[in-house]
Amino acid sequence: MTINQPVSITCTVNGKAHAIEVGAGETLLQTLRHRLWLTGTKEGCLEGECGACTVLIDGVPVDSCIQSAAAVDGREIRTIEYLSNGDRLSPLQQAFLDHAAVQCGFCIPGMLMTLTALLEHQPTPSRGDVETALAGNTCRCTGYRQMVDAAVAAARGDQA
Amino acid sequence: MNVVGSSVQRSDGAAKVRGEAVFGVDLTVQGMLHARLLRAPVAAGNIRHIDTKAAAASEGVRDVVTGAEVRNDRTGVAVFDNPLFATDYISYEGEPIAAVVADTPELAEAAIRKIELKIEEVTPVATPEQALAPNSRLVHPSWGEFGTVGGIDFNRDGNIVAEILSDQDDVDAVFERADRVIEGVYRTPRQYQAYLEPKMALATYEAGRYTVQVSHQYPFRVRDRLAQVLDVPKSAIRIVGHHIGGGFGAKLDLGLEPYAAILARRTRRPVKMVNNAEEERLTAPCRENATVKIRSAVMNDGTILAQDVDVVFDSGAYANNHPATASIPMFMYGSIYRVGTARIRNRLVYTNTAPTGAFRGVSGPYLVFAAERNMDQIANALGRDRREYRLAMLAEDGHKMLNGQTLEELSILHQAFGLVEAQAPWAEQGKGKLRGVGMAAAIWLTNPQPGQATVKLNEDGTLTVVTAATDSGSGAVFTGLRQIAAEGLGIPADQVIITMPDTDAAGFDAGSQGSRTTHVTGRAVLDATAEVREKVVEKAAAMLEAAKEDIVIEDGAVHVAGVPEMSINLADVAMAATFSNGPIAATGSYTTPPPPHDPSRTKGMLFSTWPTPTYHVHLAEVTVDPVTGRVTVERYVIAQEVGRTINPDAVKGQVLGGVAQGLGYTLWERVDIEAGRYVQRNFESHGLPLASDMPDVEFVLMEHPEAAGPYGAKGIAEPSIIPVAAAIANAVSDAIGAPIDDIPITPEAVLDVLGR
Repeated sequence: MTINQPVSITCTVNGKAHAIEVGAGETLLQTLRHRLWLTGTKEGCLEGECGACTVLIDGVPVDSCIQSAAAVDGREIRTIEYLSNGDRLSPLQQAFLDHAAVQCGFCIPGMLMTLTALLEHQPTPSRGDVETALAGNTCRCTGYRQMVDAAVAAARGDQA
Repeated sequence: MNVVGSSVQRSDGAAKVRGEAVFGVDLTVQGMLHARLLRAPVAAGNIRHIDTKAAAASEGVRDVVTGAEVRNDRTGVAVFDNPLFATDYISYEGEPIAAVVADTPELAEAAIRKIELKIEEVTPVATPEQALAPNSRLVHPSWGEFGTVGGIDFNRDGNIVAEILSDQDDVDAVFERADRVIEGVYRTPRQYQAYLEPKMALATYEAGRYTVQVSHQYPFRVRDRLAQVLDVPKSAIRIVGHHIGGGFGAKLDLGLEPYAAILARRTRRPVKMVNNAEEERLTAPCRENATVKIRSAVMNDGTILAQDVDVVFDSGAYANNHPATASIPMFMYGSIYRVGTARIRNRLVYTNTAPTGAFRGVSGPYLVFAAERNMDQIANALGRDRREYRLAMLAEDGHKMLNGQTLEELSILHQAFGLVEAQAPWAEQGKGKLRGVGMAAAIWLTNPQPGQATVKLNEDGTLTVVTAATDSGSGAVFTGLRQIAAEGLGIPADQVIITMPDTDAAGFDAGSQGSRTTHVTGRAVLDATAEVREKVVEKAAAMLEAAKEDIVIEDGAVHVAGVPEMSINLADVAMAATFSNGPIAATGSYTTPPPPHDPSRTKGMLFSTWPTPTYHVHLAEVTVDPVTGRVTVERYVIAQEVGRTINPDAVKGQVLGGVAQGLGYTLWERVDIEAGRYVQRNFESHGLPLASDMPDVEFVLMEHPEAAGPYGAKGIAEPSIIPVAAAIANAVSDAIGAPIDDIPITPEAVLDVLGR
């Protein structure tokens, strides 16, 4: 197989089955943004460091900018577009708004996916658990406290 | 109404948590091409040969340009020193040399690699010290021929981009009278803004006009600079703004826009450009590295007779807006403490490094760091308590700054010291081995530059605010301006729509810089809304057959005071007005007038006053780990004066965000330069603060409404970063019993001092 040879994969993206041709060197981020037009997942550093491109693969947060698209054959992928149910925001999304955790917003899709995975695995995280989970997500605007507050409140089922 | 003062949620919040918000990098238009730049691989060198033939013949390539093919005049914000492309010599690593436009970004990148480039490397002028050395090579040999904006000339000389000198009285003679001289040299590094969305531009050219879609803090600056670079009228350019993935000052001057615009004209196709991560790292206009020397002439009773301050800061290869902001030291010394007389010299110098630029609180963090380290050192030398000494030296209302401007409300700083004391009593902080406490005080300004807003009443009773003000995250537009308009008319904030910036549609606005949007554009919105309200009241009074002064507008309804059944919807008033007198709208314009000052004291200053001051005191308590050298912030306390809080959650966001950036600057972040080249070349290596790094921040907001501001609001966004380095360094110095005068305060630096 040459580097440019397309690869056929099937995967589930946000609950829908997809059969897609991807480039052998293509990243999952490119596939999501440029083939499926799921542009909510953001291109930040493209080095797997800032976390803006975080998506869930089989429930695990992954930096999609350094994830081979060809390697997600048969996997289940969730992106930011998955979180809200029609007009209804997920409790975590709502908590982000209620705690003013959003400023420029570029890191937010990645933050929300990381925290969604955390709450699925650990329904009542401590503040420290949230901070540890966010070790791969950089936010330059907020100072993070609002995000940690939001995640803890969402886990507790608090309504603002 | 009580919309102002409540934590209204930002209008873009839902779109941002859903991933629906469109940032500049998300834009796609039909038929668009993609361009990439060839950037200089060395810090300094002479270009001997460029051959683009192979690149032009490369697959999918539509055009290749260098400085030879396009108008390549030197232009700039203050000094005309910056060409679009390096042609004969390279001034910094990352400087554009050529541009390739192709069908895909990958094809453009592949073609870039086929450009033949021969460079004769030259030893870079890597540091300000080298630039100022007597026989230094000139970064720009033809500097004397560079024009300046408006033909204003300030002191320039070779590698000195600008020298600003304020020599008040016979400072040297005063020093001879001093009991002692307390001096220090305070060094601070660059700081990378680390916005997450890379710089981008998407240009189209149609019927002789350029449209450039951007995610930029200052669309009108892009318009005006593009007009300068392309040599076309300003009206030939339209800038359309989209959501901005962070800026912090880095997105205030031209970036990729001129290249995209030129290539769009040449190919007659839309052209999109996005920087990659390495380009961002190499070319972001970091906060400048600086060295501040302070000598204070002190009497044994604590009186400071004079201060002699010498600032050298690194402009990098081009001047950017620095010749204007180089005036800031004049306002950071002699402004809050009584220092007798002062001489302040500030030299801004060229080096063969990436041009530095604006970053939240331009210059402030290191100027206050130096000033407040020196205050600690004076107090320690005199055996005075550091807080008590500051209070003793703090000036009073009516104090004159070095420019002759009077600070009428300096007593707010006395209150701030009191509020911090109430929160964290000084005598109880920093007790114990390797535990220390520090504090710092500062004033900051609210940028006065103009803004305009048009407010129109829609036929369903909602309001639209048309403005080119930008919101790079602060909420100043997406909550602040909405709340001001809502309060002004008497409707809920969610009934106010704010446009995205479009220079064809909205009046001039000086962009998100200098904490100005809420104060300046907010005032324009308030004035426009007041006029809209007047028109609504007039129409409603006629419809309800009531006197104008009896008309009340509340929650979107209009009624007669005391007669609630005499009520009409705002929508009905709007419809009636539109189809009788014409649609209701009004435009407000504002720019802060310069405060009175003494122009004879501000020679060579492009920026001679300190409009709408705000007042700030920070306290930090830290511990130092003797094994690892790591500094832990145990407590961080702020008293910040805001004029009036428009949105408490938004102010909190700015306070916490600024402290986080300040802590990064002081303790963790690295931008090292070796031989003119950045050492940290990827995102992770910068040591940006993470969630687990942030301490609790206790803050008290002080409201002293400013008559000219909307509901009394002043600028609140920048100040929280400004005293952080000073407060932390003072605390660490206290903890380890030795002065820390350089940042970042790395574990290695701390261990080095502890080991001595």
